[in-house]
Amino acid sequence: MDAEERRALAARVLERSPADATEAIVSATHRALTRFTHETIHQSVDIDDVVIRVRAIAGGRTGVATTNARDDRSIDDALARALALAAVSPPDEGEPVLAGPASVAAPAGAHVAATARAGARERAGIAARIFSHADAYGYWSSGYVATSAGGVTIATTAGADLSFDGTECGANVKMTAGDSTGFAEYHGTDVRGLDGDALGARAAAKARAAATPVAVDPGAWTVILEPAAFGELAVFLADHFSAQAYDEGSSFLSGRLGERVVGANVTIRDDYADALHPDAPFDWEGTPKTRAAVIENGIARTVLTDGTWARRLGRPNTGHALPAPNARGPYPSDLVVDPGTESLDALIAGTARGLLVTRLWYVRVVDRRRTILTGMTRDGTFLIEDGEVRGGVRNLRFNQSLTDALAACAFSTERARTGGYSYATVVPAVKFDRFTFASSTAY
Amino acid sequence: MLDTALARGAAYADARFERSRSERIDVRNGDVAGLNDARSAGVGVRALVRGAWGFAAGARFDDAALDATAARAVAAARAAADAGRDAGGTIPAEVYVDCYATPVERDPATVPLGDRVALLLEAERALHAAPTIAVGHAWLDLWRTHKEFYSSTGSRIEQTLYQSGSAISALAVGDGDAQTRVWPGDQGLYLGGGWEAIELAALRENAARIGEEAHRLLAAPQCPSGTLDLILGGSQVSLQVHESCGHAAELDRIMGWEANFSGTSFLDPAARGTLRYGSPIVTIEIDNTMPRGFATVAYDDEGTKSVRADVIRDGMLVGFESSRDTAGQIGAQSSSCVRAESWEYVPMIRMCNLNLLPGNVPFEHLFDDVRDGVYMESNRSWSIDDRRLNFQFGTQIGWEIKHGKRGRMLKNPTYGGVTPQFWNSCDAIADRASWFEWGTPNCGKGEPMQVGRTTQAAAPARFRNVAVGVGYGR
Repeated sequence: MDAEERRALAARVLERSPADATEAIVSATHRALTRFTHETIHQSVDIDDVVIRVRAIAGGRTGVATTNARDDRSIDDALARALALAAVSPPDEGEPVLAGPASVAAPAGAHVAATARAGARERAGIAARIFSHADAYGYWSSGYVATSAGGVTIATTAGADLSFDGTECGANVKMTAGDSTGFAEYHGTDVRGLDGDALGARAAAKARAAATPVAVDPGAWTVILEPAAFGELAVFLADHFSAQAYDEGSSFLSGRLGERVVGANVTIRDDYADALHPDAPFDWEGTPKTRAAVIENGIARTVLTDGTWARRLGRPNTGHALPAPNARGPYPSDLVVDPGTESLDALIAGTARGLLVTRLWYVRVVDRRRTILTGMTRDGTFLIEDGEVRGGVRNLRFNQSLTDALAACAFSTERARTGGYSYATVVPAVKFDRFTFASSTAY
Repeated sequence: MLDTALARGAAYADARFERSRSERIDVRNGDVAGLNDARSAGVGVRALVRGAWGFAAGARFDDAALDATAARAVAAARAAADAGRDAGGTIPAEVYVDCYATPVERDPATVPLGDRVALLLEAERALHAAPTIAVGHAWLDLWRTHKEFYSSTGSRIEQTLYQSGSAISALAVGDGDAQTRVWPGDQGLYLGGGWEAIELAALRENAARIGEEAHRLLAAPQCPSGTLDLILGGSQVSLQVHESCGHAAELDRIMGWEANFSGTSFLDPAARGTLRYGSPIVTIEIDNTMPRGFATVAYDDEGTKSVRADVIRDGMLVGFESSRDTAGQIGAQSSSCVRAESWEYVPMIRMCNLNLLPGNVPFEHLFDDVRDGVYMESNRSWSIDDRRLNFQFGTQIGWEIKHGKRGRMLKNPTYGGVTPQFWNSCDAIADRASWFEWGTPNCGKGEPMQVGRTTQAAAPARFRNVAVGVGYGR
């Protein structure tokens, strides 16, 4: 469904609404994913859906309902359900303000027609090129190749009329050798940049280099996390950047705006227009997004708001609302960590003894306020000695305060988009002077 | 649709029409922060071409759209068949024509919406038992799903499923610390059934105690580090079963189907009947027919009739959670564990109802001969490696145990271990009086990620010589 069809559908919702004020969000998605294991495609999916989300306000009370049917009867039913919910809600705090007219521009490269057109056969072809690298070494591969195209339109009775169309593509591959594994991934908007040969070769090379892994002792190590690994940690900062978490005291930033909270070389921002992750220029309330540096040169500069939290805290609305109803508060969907001044190779060359980590797994919060996280290394962990990668090591479990680690770190000049379809961060590789491992595995 | 799929070259096809209603209410600090009523309807089609599966889904029901969805499924299957080797997909031999509905004592639709909101407002208000409570949160989820499954071999299965759950949580903040308590369990009480599941949670009755516990945790001593005896509350045992048994025994994972994401398993099919997984008192079974099970259905999402089957019997590994294709590859029968999150998702192996059977020790006697240990309740943090061996879990609250008696409250309790060693250290499981069907509403697996609803019924249990206090200086 293109933008004009979505706008027409949203306009029909607003026309039919008996509420005092109404917001209509129309989201259209076409998602396709080809998944493989042992050089066989075991899952090939192709999904189409259009969801209408209605926020209706009557008598100063708000209700939300959704439907994925587009006929008038279903739209009227959704509006009636939203109003029924509004009727039993307490009065809205302050004046509920729906977004008004705004002018926004989609960042360059957000929508690529070739990605939107890609089909099952093209995805299978990319997978086949990955298979060839498994075959060449007698390894086996597992992973996916995905393409999607989607659009969202937000219209309100206050005059908002915003649309965004985007595409996504991505692939990852885990290559399994006798006693080692390797990993590679790519995420972007243009399927023509999705190189199955490059991914297969990189994952195979990692698996080969990690062969015959040796055990190393847990404890405090100098560690270099490649972007795929660092991205898995960085995303855990996202909830801390919310004005809700800040105000309620569960963020490590609570009460610390203006203070140094991490190393002076650390700048973390939310940026919908980053070239590696061009995203919608407005949030789920139709507010234009601010390209916000939450932590700048180690100093906590701001927290992110939506309409509710801007009003509550008397701060500007930064445009970070999630879809209503939202108990989670504002959220940065486009987290970016600024790069450093040395290449990844230089960071490795400058390490006397340390570990190089390709990927992490099952990262979870142990202690939220102290940002203590636990998780495992995975799919390519290497010993560095005298500035060179020596060989694979067995996997380790870490327990580490992320903000403590960010107090003494260095970033690579190279950046990558990580996370795939479940989240997206744009991060460099990072070298932590001290990173604590608690235990190890037998593989 | 099925005719279209066959005409385009599929050897077999099935179609799953679903119409769902989901209601979610969130109350946060006296504010109705979320009130959503979502409806979704669509159809997911699977097509089998030369042993390879294709899946397509759409939300339009006119003839042309249904035919187009079926054609996309066949095209996806054909592309998979052309690119890979034999995927081993097979045509089911069983054909069922049947209807099923979840037994419901009280349909949530008969409870006035105002009453549903009022319950949460009242329970949330009671959480603020101390000035340190920065966030009170109460929520409920009500789901009703109507499914119709049709296969090209003649199955016609209609099911109406009710699932319900609710919870309260309190966040206490003070002195640079934040502590959370949730009731019931670690994320609420989720069951197959109707409003009776919400009433069973007794949110109002427990809210003040939960708020008070969160407050007291701020000043509680840190859980000690060391090798100690450990007693886990029922919901934490449920989580332990989920992570270190349930996912490990999924046959798709064992066969590498999830290797790049959810991981593999330390198990392999040859371990069946030979691996001592746990002590002889440990028996874990699939029961996809159980009353109140969150994953209870009459037929799974590839049309297999629900069964009851052992996974671990008297400590020995004896079976797996499987689909028709994966079970066939090891000469076994499907354990009816195939589910899709909704119409738009491809059916895959999910942990369904997987239960640790109760023991014979009254709960209070678990403590009797523990000289030095910790009792932990309600999960806060969970992590396990990608072969399901090395785990580390944290709970919201703990109590020290000295000479058989429960003592001081402890904060930040954690423990870690390796799966088979841990289950072999289990020397007592509480009896049926404290056994409960703990449901989990947010089990994640698959690509695209699917959320599964699962039950791991369990009772409190005792484990000897466990690494406790990990993550905080150990």
